[in-house]
Amino acid sequence: MAYIAMATGFLLVLIGFYGALTQRNLLRMIVAFTIADSGVNIVIVAIGYMRGRTAPILDATVSAAEAVQRIIDPVPQALVLTAIVIGVGITALMLAYAYRLYERKHTLDIAKLTDLQG
Amino acid sequence: MIKRAVALVLLLMLGGIFATLMLGYTPDSELNLTARYYAERTAADLGAANIVTAIVVTYRGLDTLGEVTVLFLSASIVGLVLASNRRPALRVRTPVGELLTTGARFLVPLILLLGVYVFVNGHLTPGGGFQGGAIIASGVLLLLLADPLRHFSHHVIATVESLAGLFYVAIGLAGLFLAGGFLDNRLWPIGTLGELFSAGAIPLIYSLIGLKVGAEFSSMLASLSETEEL
Amino acid sequence: MNALTIFAIGLGTAFLLGLLGERQKSLGYMLTLAALTFMSAVSASWLVVFAATGADSFDIFTAGTAPPFAINLRMGLIEAALTLLINLTGLFAAMHMGDALLRLGQRAMAVLIIAIMALCGIVLTRDIFNLFVFFELIVIATAGLVLLSDDDSALAAGFKYLIVSQFISALLLVGIIFAYHATGTLNIDGMAEAAAAIDPSVSGAFAIAFFLMFIAVVAELKPFPANGWALDMYEAAHPGFSAVFSAASGTAALYAVDKLLQIGGTDWLPVATGIGIVTFVGANLLALPQTNDRRLLGYSSIAQTGLILTVLGQQDIFGDDYFFIAGGLLFAHALAKAGLYWLSALVAGRTLPDWAALQSRPLLVFAFISCVAMLSGLPPFPSFYAKWELAHLLVAEGRSGLLALILFGALVEAGYLFRWFGYLIKRATPAESIACPAHQLLPIAAAVLGGWALGFVWGELSSSYFGRTNLLLTLPLFFALTFLLLDWLPAWVKNTLAIGGMVAFFSLTYAEYDPLRLIFAVIFLIGGAVTLLASYHAHGRRIGFYPAAMLMYAGMIMLIRASDSFGFFAAWELLTVGSYFLILRGKHSEPHALSYIVFSLGGAFLILAGFALAASAVPPAPTFEIAQLADLVQPVAPWVFLLLALGFMTKTAAIGVHIWLPGAHAEAETDVSPMVSGILLKAGLYGLFVLLMNMGKQSLYGVELTYVMLWIGAITALLGNLMAIFQEDAKRLLAYSSIGQMGYALFGLALMNHLGWLMALMFVINHYIYKSMLFLSVGGVAKRTGTREMFKMGGLITLMPLSFIATLIGIIAVSGVPPLSGFGGRWIFYNAILTADARLPMVLIFLSGPIAFLYLFRLIHTIFLGQLKDEHRRLKEAPFWIILPQMIYVALLMVVAVVPGMVLRHVDAYISQFFPDGALNWEGSTITSQFGYWNPVAIMIIVGVIFMLLFGWLLFVNRRAQKVKQFNFVFSAERPFRPETTHFAWNFFAPYRKAMGFLVQPFVTRFWAAVTDLLHTAADITRRLYNGNGQTYAFHFLLFVVAVFTFRMGM
Repeated sequence: MAYIAMATGFLLVLIGFYGALTQRNLLRMIVAFTIADSGVNIVIVAIGYMRGRTAPILDATVSAAEAVQRIIDPVPQALVLTAIVIGVGITALMLAYAYRLYERKHTLDIAKLTDLQG
Repeated sequence: MIKRAVALVLLLMLGGIFATLMLGYTPDSELNLTARYYAERTAADLGAANIVTAIVVTYRGLDTLGEVTVLFLSASIVGLVLASNRRPALRVRTPVGELLTTGARFLVPLILLLGVYVFVNGHLTPGGGFQGGAIIASGVLLLLLADPLRHFSHHVIATVESLAGLFYVAIGLAGLFLAGGFLDNRLWPIGTLGELFSAGAIPLIYSLIGLKVGAEFSSMLASLSETEEL
Repeated sequence: MNALTIFAIGLGTAFLLGLLGERQKSLGYMLTLAALTFMSAVSASWLVVFAATGADSFDIFTAGTAPPFAINLRMGLIEAALTLLINLTGLFAAMHMGDALLRLGQRAMAVLIIAIMALCGIVLTRDIFNLFVFFELIVIATAGLVLLSDDDSALAAGFKYLIVSQFISALLLVGIIFAYHATGTLNIDGMAEAAAAIDPSVSGAFAIAFFLMFIAVVAELKPFPANGWALDMYEAAHPGFSAVFSAASGTAALYAVDKLLQIGGTDWLPVATGIGIVTFVGANLLALPQTNDRRLLGYSSIAQTGLILTVLGQQDIFGDDYFFIAGGLLFAHALAKAGLYWLSALVAGRTLPDWAALQSRPLLVFAFISCVAMLSGLPPFPSFYAKWELAHLLVAEGRSGLLALILFGALVEAGYLFRWFGYLIKRATPAESIACPAHQLLPIAAAVLGGWALGFVWGELSSSYFGRTNLLLTLPLFFALTFLLLDWLPAWVKNTLAIGGMVAFFSLTYAEYDPLRLIFAVIFLIGGAVTLLASYHAHGRRIGFYPAAMLMYAGMIMLIRASDSFGFFAAWELLTVGSYFLILRGKHSEPHALSYIVFSLGGAFLILAGFALAASAVPPAPTFEIAQLADLVQPVAPWVFLLLALGFMTKTAAIGVHIWLPGAHAEAETDVSPMVSGILLKAGLYGLFVLLMNMGKQSLYGVELTYVMLWIGAITALLGNLMAIFQEDAKRLLAYSSIGQMGYALFGLALMNHLGWLMALMFVINHYIYKSMLFLSVGGVAKRTGTREMFKMGGLITLMPLSFIATLIGIIAVSGVPPLSGFGGRWIFYNAILTADARLPMVLIFLSGPIAFLYLFRLIHTIFLGQLKDEHRRLKEAPFWIILPQMIYVALLMVVAVVPGMVLRHVDAYISQFFPDGALNWEGSTITSQFGYWNPVAIMIIVGVIFMLLFGWLLFVNRRAQKVKQFNFVFSAERPFRPETTHFAWNFFAPYRKAMGFLVQPFVTRFWAAVTDLLHTAADITRRLYNGNGQTYAFHFLLFVVAVFTFRMGM
């Protein structure tokens, strides 16, 4: 199970990267990055997964005493939350940039935004 | 064409690196040192039923403060990027469907309520400030969809955002003086595990985060919507 | 104050700014400055605590829970220093960018504060994921702050930066989560412990996870060649922010790499070294062809970061010196880059020559050169001390190859930085003057003063830990630097002070020198003072002249007073820099000064490597005494000899490395030429004396190195003289003549016998006197006639009789004919040759003797005799202050000619320590060698009598000659288009050129030109990689990742 999730995650990362490397449209690149981000997040969650255990929340079914035996690793879950939020922030930023670039240069082609080089 | 080929080759090699990582991976059968500590001690030390929340808000509170700051930064910069070209006057109203308008009127209060519920109960159930904040922002999004011309006061949003942020930092500092350290939630007794008013300052912090995240997302949405050419 | 208040205040202020309305921008700005000041104060207070008490670093827990279960921070001396640097950079950047921040409002201010806070976070945190969060904050804030720029391309630059950052953060996250899985912790120290304990058989997965984290953090350093996006940022961003991006972000990222290396352990150090050195050399090469100032600074920033990464990678051999070295380089780089970026805001144009706008502001020029010196690792800045230790430790561990690469990169960097300084000083100033608002000047002043202050701190550290000298506390350097403060005084006051200071210092210290050093001390201090008499003719303030000249003299006197290798090398660099500034003052000297400094620094690096090698061969001790050179044995000794000899010969302009000299000496100002020719060249000879005195003869692969030097000396003498005869420019002629003369001295030294050395010393004295005199008289003539081309002059004997006399006496002395001191030199010389067994080079030396006549007589013949030019009819004698030293020299020459024993007999006795055989016999006025005797007094009398007789007879037979005025007829022809082609003195030696011209083909010049061309071409080809496309940069990054991975796994 963890392997499948992890493999899927890595595949998504690669697909996202491929898109970001080959698509010239800024918006498509941004979408490609969100795919890669999701892939990374899946990998993170997959790392924390442990067979036969439950979510790290103490309630009627999981008492504090038996938590060690019953719950999965809570750390990756906390990390993935942070990673998601950061991903959202950067995506929003890139979208705003893309909008502004389009407004200034009237193009969304990354290959045409090359005033600085060398 | 060459570009695609090079990209493929590069990514194949990167995939090779990933594959080696995966092949070297063996799932744990026991919790590792850090996770074990959280599983054993969270309830007793912090009084939070949701261990993930305890980690997010307290143990790794500095990360979360940073995370909130990321959103704050993004919102500010999105505002900066889009600020100089607001053209509010020229937009023409295009009718949106009756269904959407009525639906929005009906759903938005419920959505807001759900959002508040999610972040207030962050220490007990799945969810928390970020999730709740996102839900609140989705309510704002619905409002914007229903009425694209609706003008949200940036000032109000910014005030909510800033006050929430300031209080967050203040509570963190209070931990320094009243409890064991920066962002320590044990400002007051942690209460009984599983109750709404438990886990010290966690519900308060998570609520502030919820408000702040909701405000930040809303601010980004508002900024983006104002650029839309209709 | 708890270090966490840095975060609390930073974030609190950022959030508070959101509460302020549109109208309250100034209030917001005040709050911003206050917050950054407060953050700086927190760091500063900790720095004081740690520095004063020597306390250990301590951990700060968050969430009331101990690590590794909650995030912890660490505050120590290093962290306090780095966060102070970051916070102050932020504060001054905020000040500098005041206008832009006020225009964009509170949001921009909040972003800046958060960026600075996050940079502090990177330094302080001990949690790997927390590090990631702070990195992301910086990425976002950086992308936002690019918008402060007025530059339209900033937007695209920001987007490119975001693209690559996405790749970086994805890899970082994958790395972190797998490293967490392998070690069970996110705490950096915990991870390092766990990593060390991992069973090597299963460590593969962890190694890859670590690789991903490592490469992602290293990518934040913008390693070459995966750094196109960063360069666009540097170029397009607001310069106030580029300073933060270079100084503060680079600092934080470097410290992050250091933390990661603690996890990775020693296995990863070579990877860091490799990436670092490739970046240092590559980025410096690419900086060479840059025309945009900010992009050039970007390349230089990347290069410097690469250098520090190299140091990080070598930390295993540095021990306790690690932070001394890395810190010295880091702080020098950060302050210099911040200063230069802030300066760039004052310059309107974006090409390098546009910086000539700063010319009118001496203080800004001083700021610029201070920054350049910091970057080039010149004394007395921290980078100099760091460079010294770095070289020594590298060589001691047998990593000389790495040192060679570092020095090569540093030389390239010095090349483009000093080229830029040349533009700044010499190019035409734009019409409009530059605006210097106080809020933009303050940050620059802070960076520059900070650099000097840290130079003092590093000097103190160096003297307390290694027993070396704090250069800023040495009297000569201190004296030289006070002239910076006195530069507002009129020139004549400063001249008097300078002469007084030099004479006073000599009279206080002359008892301390042995005879050899005394000769050099007299030439440097007293000789220097005499030359300075000529400087009285200058009017006004002569800004910049005295600090430069005094720096050179300070370096020279420190050179002969130095007893250990550190003092010697520091003095060497000081005199090099001082003389460079002097040479650069000439009207057309920009390219010549550049080649001078590049060759000199190259030579200095050889000397550094030589000393490092020498120190590695003796038992470890804090200092390496110069005298210990004598203790060196095979196999190290000949290599040390080779490196040092090459270094010193660069200064004496031996053939092959001589091409800097003619232009540098000829284009210098009238009173500067004698200083750099008559006096400065002796520094190189002094070095050779010291070297040979201590090391004697050395053989490398069966070749005796002194024998090679003998040949070099002979060829230099021959070719120097040959090249001199074809010159039309009088000062150039003298300059080439100096090359030849230095060849003689080198030859004498390399003879390695008593008389050879005596003769070399004789040359030291004579060359000082007559070359200073000739340069002054020719300079005086050139000043009056407005040209240095000899065929444009003629018949000046009646108008400038004193200059004529000086020149006449000078050339008699140079050519070594009786009765003047040159003859004494020759006489000793021929005696020396007869006692040595090097017959073939001896022939060359004999040959070059008559050649000297060929060019020397032209000075008299073409300038002072012949037809007076119409436009020169009203010329006056050269100014008094230029004539006065010449007359002193004439008198001196006479004295030395009559009683050479006055000085030489002491030296002769001194040399007997080294070569007991072959001493001369000084009885009465006669000097006897084994081959014959020389009686200077008798010769003077005989020659005097013959001269008077002949002169009297000439007057007698010509008594009836009718005098015809030159201009008493009418010229009938028109003035030819190229007057020189019809002038008899133009191309005077055309027949010889036909015969021997092949010898003076500028092979050497062409060789060095080809080398520079090669570097430029290589750089230009590599530049094409940076095509400006963000996607291409992403390719570069991934290629870089894959390449490093392959390299690492193959290791």
